[in-house]
Order: sequence, then C-alpha cells, then structure tokens
Amino acid sequence: MCGIVGYVGTSNGVDAVDVVLDGLSSLEYRGYDSAGLAVPTPSVRVHKTEGELSALENTVPRDELEGALTGIGHTRWSTHGPPSDVNAHPHRDEADRVAVVHNGIIENYQRLRDDLVDAGITFQSETDTEVVPQLIGRYLDRGAAPEEAFRLAIDQLEGSYAIAAVFDGSETVYAARQDSPLVVGLGETGTYLASDVPAFVEHTDRVCYLEDGDFVRLTADDAVVTDAEGNSVDRPIETVAWDPEDAEKSGYDHYMLKEIHEQPKALRQCLRGRIDDLDGAVDLEDLADLDHEGPVQFVACGTSYHAALFGAERLREAGVRAQAFLASEYASDRVPIDDETLVVGVTQSGETADTLRALREAARAGATTLAVTNTVASSAARECDHTLYIRAGPEIGVAATKTFASQQLALALLAFTLGDGPTREELEALRDIPGQVRTVLETTDARAVAEEYVDADAYFFIGRGYHYPVALEGALKMKEITYRHAEGFAAGELKHGPLALVTEDTPVFAVVTGDGETARKTIGNVKEVEARDAPVVAITDGESDVTRYADHVLEIPAVGDLGGSVLANVQLQLVAYWVANLLGRSIDKPRNLAKSVTVE
Amino acid sequence: MPISSAVVLAAGEGARLRPLTKHRPKPMLPAATKPILEHVFDALVDADITEITVVVGYGRTHVQSHFGSTYRGASIDYVVQDKQLGSGHALLEAEPEVSGPQLVLNGDQLVEQRLIEDVHEAHDSDSIATLGLVRDGDIANYGGVIFEDDENISEIVERPHDDRSYHLNAGVYAFESEIFDYLRGPEPQFNEYSLVDGIANAIAADETVRGVTSDGFWYDATYPWDLLEVTETLLGNTDGVESTVSTDAQIHESATIVEPVVISTDCVIGPGSVVGPNVALGENVTVGANAVVENSVVDADTRIGANATLIDGVTGHGVQIGAGSTMVGGPGDVRVGDRIHENERLGAVLADRVRDGGGVTYAPGTVVGSDAVITAGTAVSGTVDDETEVQ
Repeated sequence: MCGIVGYVGTSNGVDAVDVVLDGLSSLEYRGYDSAGLAVPTPSVRVHKTEGELSALENTVPRDELEGALTGIGHTRWSTHGPPSDVNAHPHRDEADRVAVVHNGIIENYQRLRDDLVDAGITFQSETDTEVVPQLIGRYLDRGAAPEEAFRLAIDQLEGSYAIAAVFDGSETVYAARQDSPLVVGLGETGTYLASDVPAFVEHTDRVCYLEDGDFVRLTADDAVVTDAEGNSVDRPIETVAWDPEDAEKSGYDHYMLKEIHEQPKALRQCLRGRIDDLDGAVDLEDLADLDHEGPVQFVACGTSYHAALFGAERLREAGVRAQAFLASEYASDRVPIDDETLVVGVTQSGETADTLRALREAARAGATTLAVTNTVASSAARECDHTLYIRAGPEIGVAATKTFASQQLALALLAFTLGDGPTREELEALRDIPGQVRTVLETTDARAVAEEYVDADAYFFIGRGYHYPVALEGALKMKEITYRHAEGFAAGELKHGPLALVTEDTPVFAVVTGDGETARKTIGNVKEVEARDAPVVAITDGESDVTRYADHVLEIPAVGDLGGSVLANVQLQLVAYWVANLLGRSIDKPRNLAKSVTVE
Repeated sequence: MPISSAVVLAAGEGARLRPLTKHRPKPMLPAATKPILEHVFDALVDADITEITVVVGYGRTHVQSHFGSTYRGASIDYVVQDKQLGSGHALLEAEPEVSGPQLVLNGDQLVEQRLIEDVHEAHDSDSIATLGLVRDGDIANYGGVIFEDDENISEIVERPHDDRSYHLNAGVYAFESEIFDYLRGPEPQFNEYSLVDGIANAIAADETVRGVTSDGFWYDATYPWDLLEVTETLLGNTDGVESTVSTDAQIHESATIVEPVVISTDCVIGPGSVVGPNVALGENVTVGANAVVENSVVDADTRIGANATLIDGVTGHGVQIGAGSTMVGGPGDVRVGDRIHENERLGAVLADRVRDGGGVTYAPGTVVGSDAVITAGTAVSGTVDDETEVQ
C-alpha cells in the first residue's frame, strides 16, 4: 500500500515542501519504508530515499527548495521485495521533464517497457511505475503538450492507479485515477491532492472525491476534473468532518489499542508460510543461507531487549548457547566475540542507533550478524549478513505492542531453526497462538483491574523463566504511557531487596502458568508479597493454585510457558493502556519518547 | 446526484444465533468464510459506494480490527451505539457523521449488488425514502409494505399477520437527510426507536416514500444452522462465492478435495482426509489424517482430529474436535430457548473454543455453548451451556 500527495499553492500559501512532507506523514499508516518528493520549478528536482519519512526529511535540502509553490510526494510500505533509493518514487523520464508518483499496479508494464526499451529508452528502476514518465517523455518528444502527453500515457495503462505528475517549469499538477483512491482538497491558498483526506485535512475540509476514469488538473485556485475524452465532469464538493487524528484509528481511541487488537493478525502474518505442518518443520526462507552452529548473542534496547531475553532463553532451551545484551552496554561490557558467534540485533525500526552500533562492533570482530526487524530494507537489514522480518505491519503508537508479540514468535521460529527442531505439538502450539490472543482480547478483565489500581503508589511485575522478560515488559509499558513508577523483577529477586518497597498500595502483577516447579516457586514469591498486604494480580492459566493468593485474576488459555508468555503480555499491555487512559495520558505519543531512537 | 455514501447498521448481537454470537456480533459470522458484513461491503463497493459509515456496538472490536479504516478503496468510519435501542436509534447515532442522501443497510443480512443498485437508481430527492423490496420471503418474521400505486408506499408494518398483499422490506434504503427528524419522533415505542416507525412517521406526515421491487438476492441467517444454507447457496450461485483453495494452505497429496469448497489461508489438510462438498474452512484450520468434512462451516483456528467425521457441522473459532469424534449430520431437532425446531439439517453447532477429548458422538441437532469441554467417548445431544463440562 502506498500514499501519494500533491499540492499547488498561491504565492501567499504554505511552503509546498512542508505541505508534501506533512501530508506524507499523515499517510504514514499507509506505509513508510521509502518516500520521495518532486518540485517542478524552476526545473524538476526529485529527492527520494528508502527508509522512513524522517530519512527523507533529512535528505531534502530545505534551503534550496524554499518558496516552492508546487510539489508531489509518495510514501510506501512493502513487506516483500526490497525498497531502494532508485525504486522509490517519484520517477522521471530520461530528460527530467516530468516526475511521477503512483499508487497501484500497472499490469501491462512489461509490454510497455519492452516497447520503450526497443525505442532506445534506458530505464533507471525495476518498478512498473517508471513506464509512466518514460511514456510521457515519448509523447513530449513527439511534440505533445504536457497535459496531452499525460493523457496519452495514461490511456496506455492497464491496471490500478492513482497517478500524479508535474512538468518542468509548470505550476500545475496532473492526476488520474483508476481503482486506487484519490481525493482533491480545495483550500483558500492552494489546491491539494492525496490518496486519503488526512493528508491535507489540516489545511481544508472542502474535498472532492475523484472516480475511476477521472483526470484532474490542479492549479493554485482550481481543480478541473475531466473524463478520458477531456469533457468536463462535475464532481460534488463535500465538507468532511474529520479529526485528522481519528482517520486511521479504525474507531479505536488510540493507535495503541488498535495495535493491541491487531496482534492476532500480525502473528498470523509472522507465521505465514514459515511452518510446514505436513512435514513437521519450520521453514524460514529469509534465513535459507544461514548455517550456524556456534553461540548466539542478542543485542537490543527497550522492548526489543525484552524480546531478546525471551529469544535467548528459547534458544538455550533448544540447546544453543545464547545470551542477550543491552545494545548500549555491549561495547563497554567487553563481551567476547569471535567469528564463531552469531550476533542478532532485534530492532523494530531497524534504525535504533545503539543496536546498529553494537551490530557494527560485532561485524568488525568477525561475527556473523542477523537483524530481526519489522522494517524492510532498514539500516539494520541492509548492514547485517542476514535478516529475519517479523511482518507485524506498521506500528504508529510509540509504545511497542504488536511488534513485541511478533518478535517473540519470530524468535521462537529462529530457535527451531538454529537449535533443536520442533515437535508436532510445538508446531501446533505456535499455530494456536494467534487465535488464543484473540481469546484473551475477547475475555480480558484488564480494564476492571486498571480501574481498581489506577491510584496505586507503584506497580511491580514478577515472573520467572519466559515470564521474566514479560514482567520487565509489563513494567516498561506501564512507565512509558502512565508516567507512574513501575518495576519488573525476576520473581526470586524480590526478596533480595525490592520487597522493601512493597506496601498495601503497590499492586504486584505475577505471571504464573502451568503447575510445574517454576510456577510453584513464583507462587512462593507471591505469598511473600501477600504477607506484606500488597494486592496481588495473577496473570495465569488457572493450572496452579495461585488464584488462592490473588486479589484479581487475569485469565489466559492454558498453553504452556512459551505461548503463555505471549498471552500474559497482552493482558499487561491492556492494564497499562487502561491505567493511562483513566489518567488521561497522551497514550500514542508519551512525553519525552520517540518511536524510533536514532541517536546513541 | 448519485449517492456515494452508505450507513451500515452492525451494532446488534443477533441473539437468535447464540451461542455463536457469545463473543462477536452476527455481522462477523462467516458466510463461505467471509464475515456477512464483508459481503455487504463488497456489494456496496461494487455499487460504487466510496464512503461507508458503520454503526458498531456489540463486539465492535471484531469489526474494527477486521476492516480497519478502508475497504477496497472505500473509506470506513465507525460510529459507536453504546446501547442497543433499535435500528432507528442506530441510524440517529450516525447523523452527525453524514451529510446528504445516504444508502442505509443492515450489516447482518446478505444482499446482492443488484438490490442496492435498484434502490439507488429508483431513488430521487422528491422522495424522503426509497425502500428495497423482494417479492417472496417470510414476511411474518420481517417487515412488509403495502403499495398505494405502482411506486408509492402507503403503509409499512413490522411482522404483519393479516393476509393482505405485502412486499417484504429487504432492509435496503435510500434516505434523504430529513428522515432523521422522523426517526426522532413523535414517541418511541417500548423505548426503542425503530427504522420502520420512523418511515411510518414520514408516511403519516404525507412524505413520499417509494418502494422498488428487486430480483436481487437477499438472505438472512436467522439461526446457526442457516449458516450452512448460506454457504451452500453462495458456493452454488454464479454470483456468489467461487470455489477456492488458498495458495497459503497446505494440502497433503493424498487428501481429497470435493468442490465446491473454500479453504482459507494457513489451513492444513492431512493425509487421506476428504473435504467437501459445500465446506467452508476459515483461516488456520487443521483437518487431521483421514478425517471427513462435508457440508460444514468451520471457523478459524479450529482443529479437526484424525479420523473425525463432520457432516452438517457449524463451528466457531478455535474449536477442538478430538480424534475419531463423529457428527453424522441432520436432520435433527434443535432447541433454541423454549422453542424446538424440528427436522433441521444440522449435525451440531460447536461454539467458540469447544473442546472435545476425542471419540465423542454428536446427535443431530446438538448445540454446544462456547468454552464447553466434552470428555472423551461421550455421546452428546440437546443443548450444552457455555463453559460447562460434559462427562
């Protein structure tokens, strides 16, 4: 899915580059693994880059483009296939007379491309889109005026598209639509074009939805819609009541809650095609040429570090020597690395500076590197020897939720690849997890628990084994979005100090699954807490008797420790969400925090 | 001016479909694996609707998470109806979000694009409302209208019991925005605001209300076993759903697929099993070795054990049918509330997350509530409540 924007402003209007960049950022939910923009005057200039929009913002020479009146832009998210600078939009013809952005698929591009190549045209990219500017260029060569050339080119296309083009030296945007959304905005000081209303709703609420087969010519004070024959078409102008924040939240109050509810889908995507159930094997195509026998070191920060702790434990269980390190401490810890070592960087964005730096250290020391990331062709993915994608889809909320769950499952798959292979029961258990997350979402009492403890002095989280990283992550979520004091501990550590903090106003969330030795030990720690009159919230599958010592229970399906840690974490995400919601916090953009931390 | 926006009412539970609606609303129940609501959206998009406002309520996160903010290029906005105070109230909730004439549809009934287009074409702004009608159907359980002349409606009645010549109201409307005033008053009946009362108010005030009779397909699943008929109808109809096996499904080479079927993504079909005809498997379903599945609707994440037999079965999400369990198929008597439905074609309904230990025999017409657990080797019949254990 891609997003496109276009703008033509009056001389007293807003800077075109600002409008385009802001518009693209509102379309980030449509994807953000490469982006680009073009301004046509005084001559066509194109700036584009792979990576998030921030990468484009850093690339664009603002001073050179200052005062631009006209621009088009494009943002893209792909889960398959490499985005690259050259494949990013806009695309141009050979003589740089036209720049084009496109959302959709041009089905007959190969034939068009072959014809153009036969005619002596050299293509820069592998995209289907580039045939459009090249075709336009051909018609310009034959003497067609810009609009005529644009129409003749569009007429050649089969497939789906929303296309916008600008021509050298002209303050006009031409666009056409077929089976991809395109909407025009009519403002006081300019005219807008976008895949979706939020891209310009901060400037105007007067919009005009284009229909299939429509062409539009955008000038600073008008948008003229015509059909394929050039006859004028009257499209009604409507007023949209649109909270720009709301547009992409699908009826949820916050991206975070939306993303928590997207977890079943994200986990299905993570597993899709990676479990060969009939042969009883895990098949990670991403890692087909990774053949590793030696020790494994994880490097990561924040939530990804908690996933890394989980991954290291899973690998050890599968018979692999594995450890997790905080990426920011990795260098100063003087961790011994050699060429037998596989260093795995876990980073949602693939741009986390601390993690990138640790991976570079490791590569210099001769280690093989592997990126586990959500972002196709991010720095981590480009720089590492291997990449495993978690396929969670775009995550907008600053507090990571679905990407943590997807990291957990991706690392579980990695463990089956590097260590002991899975049993049939283990494979079935993995396939069951997405549906069980849905069960938790359907049945959770997290909101009631949050209401009970919204005024607590502090929140403590304890767990053992796979549940220790979950305790840390539960506390981190609580800190990030509620700004309240919260700590996660290995359950056994409680009595070595932190117990002094426990009072009747500090609820303790204990993650307990099964009824084995680990569970019984954690229950022992729960009793220590209970004896200090602290309220206990048990996150449990009900297999043990921990509910006897708990004031509240958040139930999860009984699926063992590994799956249980994924499910327990969903409950803790929801508790943090509802506490923050009751406190009226800025949940999607907590103070002082950024989604992707690109400084060390 | 052509109407480009629609309001879809999807806030109700659909209680007669219990226990399948324990966790999600009726619009999200599967018809040939896709939620009923998705079929409604498809029909709207095919009829060139580009803006959809959905009124959600019961189980709304299922709707929101499934569809997100766009569907096939149409924008989707959500309006929440917190209390289910009737279809008219649901539409009133959407009033602040919409402007101009709207199509209005129920999100829990299957309608064909043609029916929508017929209403769309017949409507003009001289009428406050245009109603889509079908000739046949169970008028006594729905609403009917009486025509004054060829076009105009003189009377609208819910569940009529006289033998006048009614046309069935298919729940597909075009409304001018003035309809909102009539929905609000004069007085709600039984504290509910019904759409039909609003239309009756408009007729009483001498507004023009038109009807258009359509040949388009209209179908309402009233009871759980109707999902079997819906799937069979869709699979058997050229305008319905094509028989498909997802490329992301894994089918053992010795398994037999008897079309028509829909086998969704991530499904695993084991060796020697026979699946079809008229089977819809939701995503990530497993059919074990040598199992037989025929004429059944099996929802996502369900596991059918080796050597199990499922004929005329309906399952919810994440059901576990153990090895060798048997559902021999209908007809059977089904109890819903106090009423017994005789001779329905139903093997059994197993609601979300029912688990059986294997070797279980389901008598025709059995209904098992969600999260119930059935011990291995048990013979089950009648109705089993949610979260009970059967030994």
